[in-house]
Amino acid sequence: MIINFFKLLINEFYLMLKGSVLSVTLFSLLLIASTIFSLALRHTSLGLEIPLAFLWIIIFFITIIKVEKVYQSDFSEAKLQQYILSPFALEIIIFLKNVMIYFNLMFFFIIFSPIILIILNIELSYLLQINALLSLSLLSIVFISSMTASLTISKNNKFSITSVLTLPLFIPLLIFSMAITEIIDFNGSNKIYLFFVAYFLLNLAFSPLLTSFALRKLSV
Amino acid sequence: MIEIKNLSFARGNSLILRNVSLLINSGDIMVIKGPNGKGKTTLLSNIVSFLEPIEGTVEYDGQKIDNEIASRKFLYIGENNFAFDNLSLKQNIDYWLSINNVTFSKEITKKSIQFLFDELNLDKKYYQLSFGQKKKLQLLLLMLVTKETWILDDPFNGLDVESISKILTLISKKRENNGTIVIATHQDLTIPDYKTFFLR
Repeated sequence: MIINFFKLLINEFYLMLKGSVLSVTLFSLLLIASTIFSLALRHTSLGLEIPLAFLWIIIFFITIIKVEKVYQSDFSEAKLQQYILSPFALEIIIFLKNVMIYFNLMFFFIIFSPIILIILNIELSYLLQINALLSLSLLSIVFISSMTASLTISKNNKFSITSVLTLPLFIPLLIFSMAITEIIDFNGSNKIYLFFVAYFLLNLAFSPLLTSFALRKLSV
Repeated sequence: MIEIKNLSFARGNSLILRNVSLLINSGDIMVIKGPNGKGKTTLLSNIVSFLEPIEGTVEYDGQKIDNEIASRKFLYIGENNFAFDNLSLKQNIDYWLSINNVTFSKEITKKSIQFLFDELNLDKKYYQLSFGQKKKLQLLLLMLVTKETWILDDPFNGLDVESISKILTLISKKRENNGTIVIATHQDLTIPDYKTFFLR
């Protein structure tokens, strides 16, 4: 079982690599959106908060789109039937897929982030803090998005609308992500990172269970 | 032994299965027949516990079938493809074997592929296969995954005569080993002593 788990991990990694085209496309769109944002507000002094809030919101959208696309293809009815009958719990398969999506997005964000910061007129010296914060908050974003995706891809359209219910779960992430400015500007406590770790652990406990429940009940 | 007692299933407001009762013993080949839309696939999905009936029960050796029993006992090959289009055939086979927690030597896997395909370039992408080849790749699991009961939904769809005969050979061998096979198909099988259940 353990050998096959690692084989599965490797195979999921291959799948993630094959899905990288979508990530590149989404991050290219982020570049374009950032450029338009900066150009539109070039005569206004924005500080650090507004470009960061903009960046975070776009990252939310990118993650939601990416997770939904992966779930649409990887949890089609026929595949899901095989996953349900697999000796591996569906929750484990969901966890692996989410982790792979996370690494995929994080990899491209690290590559694109210097350019994005330049475009958004954020000092490059903040690069490390921004990447560290995003690496922590993206974990939660991916796991919450997986719950959203499991509802939106359901066969029954009337359940798709219930995916809106997961959106409030993003709000604490947005609020605490903005606290990065305190870390940067006021050399504040790094304890803010602990919130993201705690929030991720909370999501880790519930998200795969709820996602697998929704997939089993609504998509087969 | 699979026992279906007074099973009824509805999707939305339409009742698809009404009071279906059926007994499938170990070593049986049960062919489920019926016109399109009469619930053959739905019945299979209820057996494998993908769907929950509104009334009635499905039991395996006296136990209500849940996800745990289903994953231990059933190998399900549905009518739709489950392979990944953008992976190669080798990657697909590796992936689905690892999902089924199966470890085979390359030699056995190669022989199984040869039995079904004669010759096949495993570096091809899945989307490059024909409809029949895609179906056969799914049916490859019949040889590589060991489970007591096979649930097959229209397994002969798109297959040529030679391939159908190979699949029937596999089915016969499974029965010789006291395996149970439930098939939804419109086709008459050329195997002796199989049972038929009509959905009307």
